[in-house]
Amino acid sequence: MASIKLAGENAIIIYFGCHATSELAGEIAFYTQQLLGSLGDLIIDVVPSYTSLMISYRLNLIQYHDFCRHVEQVLSSSTFAPSDLKSTLIEIPVYYGLDTGLDLSELLDDKGLSLEDFITIHSAKTYLVYAIGFSPAFAFLGKVDDRINSTRLARPRIKIPAGSIGIADDQTAVYPIASSGGWNIVGRTPIDLSLNNPENIKRFSVGDNVKFVPISQQEYVSLGGGL
Amino acid sequence: MSFEVIKAGFYSLIQDYGRFGFAQYGLSQSGVADEHAYCWANHLLDNDFNDAVLEITFGSCELNALDNMCIAVTGADLDFKINGVPQPLWHVINVQPNDTLTWSTAKSGIRSYLAVKGGFQTKPLFNSKSVNVRENIGTQLLNGDMLSCQSADKSMDHRMMPSEFIPDYDRNITLRVLPSYQFDLFDEQQKQHFFNQRYTVTSASDRTGCRLDGHVMTNVQARMVSEGICYGSVEITTQGLPIILLKDSPTMGGYPKIATVFSLDLAKLAQRQAGCGVTFELIDIETAQQKRREFNAFFAINIR
Repeated sequence: MASIKLAGENAIIIYFGCHATSELAGEIAFYTQQLLGSLGDLIIDVVPSYTSLMISYRLNLIQYHDFCRHVEQVLSSSTFAPSDLKSTLIEIPVYYGLDTGLDLSELLDDKGLSLEDFITIHSAKTYLVYAIGFSPAFAFLGKVDDRINSTRLARPRIKIPAGSIGIADDQTAVYPIASSGGWNIVGRTPIDLSLNNPENIKRFSVGDNVKFVPISQQEYVSLGGGL
Repeated sequence: MSFEVIKAGFYSLIQDYGRFGFAQYGLSQSGVADEHAYCWANHLLDNDFNDAVLEITFGSCELNALDNMCIAVTGADLDFKINGVPQPLWHVINVQPNDTLTWSTAKSGIRSYLAVKGGFQTKPLFNSKSVNVRENIGTQLLNGDMLSCQSADKSMDHRMMPSEFIPDYDRNITLRVLPSYQFDLFDEQQKQHFFNQRYTVTSASDRTGCRLDGHVMTNVQARMVSEGICYGSVEITTQGLPIILLKDSPTMGGYPKIATVFSLDLAKLAQRQAGCGVTFELIDIETAQQKRREFNAFFAINIR
């Protein structure tokens, strides 16, 4: 059962569970949609995450206890079934090469996998967006196959190129812009996910599905990818 | 109507009330650091509460007025002058073509707000003109820039804020906090530790977070599952010291949070220089909301 806690003078946080599972992520995405649908006029912002949902609301319009009561009503009036979740499938082309996958050769050695094996394993799964944070349009995707689960780098990189695909523990993600970070870089997408195109802000939503589509170096370059 | 930027200064940013509705996509709230000084500047000019202003941090900024404009400068005392003559803060001032406006050094406080009648007319992105430096959104001043604003067809009456409301930014402050997030996970001894000492503001503070120094808290819970962060959340890091998360903070974080600072006290904190003393005390949610509602009503703040 969800528990509601105070987050700030105009914000609450709802805890749906303790452990990040795909079922819980789906449930949180579903209730985020329900709450926005029912209480959208009162809500300023929502931040769904692995086990929780933070909501800020217009305190000019409603008091804390009344808002909590409204939220409880919405939560108890609808039961989550995975089929209820509206989610989009997003395909991201990826060139998995030793030139773009900066940590790929080390990772393959470490895991005893061939490049083909790795590509098959990473691209076979449909990943769920568990959370969006770190920076805009940075979607935390899970969960990767145990065979390619890799701990973060001991020394984070100062600069990871935009579009890089990373793995950290059981999560994978695309870096929308060049940034520092400790994820194992295994490939790169030629697609621009940065806010240079403002539409990209809404490219991922929590609860969406993401699939990586392997492409060749030639296709990567022809789609505008840099090496 | 515009200003020409002669010297951009250390850190001069266009800011409005903030960017809302995009936190679920990972975009920070942004917006002015000191809502009190900002709201007064717009209020004196009969502006909308959300009109964009220039937030000048520490000074070293010089603007040249190209037209007749009505302005108000509020917040920190950064030795604001026009044509070399010291000017009053918290007043409406009518400027003329070729007037040179300067902010040199921080005498008291950190951030000065320049509001102009009608607000600065920079390009909004994601429903706000606020600068988000990390994402390279909005207008951060550069030398030679033109800052356009609406024309003032007539000069305004010389209005001013009642002097008894002028804050003293040099005093130590007590921040009122709500018991939020993981408050109950901190034990009695840790809470005593938090509420019974005077921390100091460190120089490693910015618009993202205010880092405090003091006696470290022991046995702090390790990082947890990341969750949504709210403006003013007080994280206790693994080292046992607080970071107060501010307008440019990321939307998610994984350190345990002991409390959330009341927003009107965050406005005061935004003007505290490194070394200032900070203590915490509890406030209840009803009181905090009531005080915030009064503030919102006075300045006609109504987030759309």
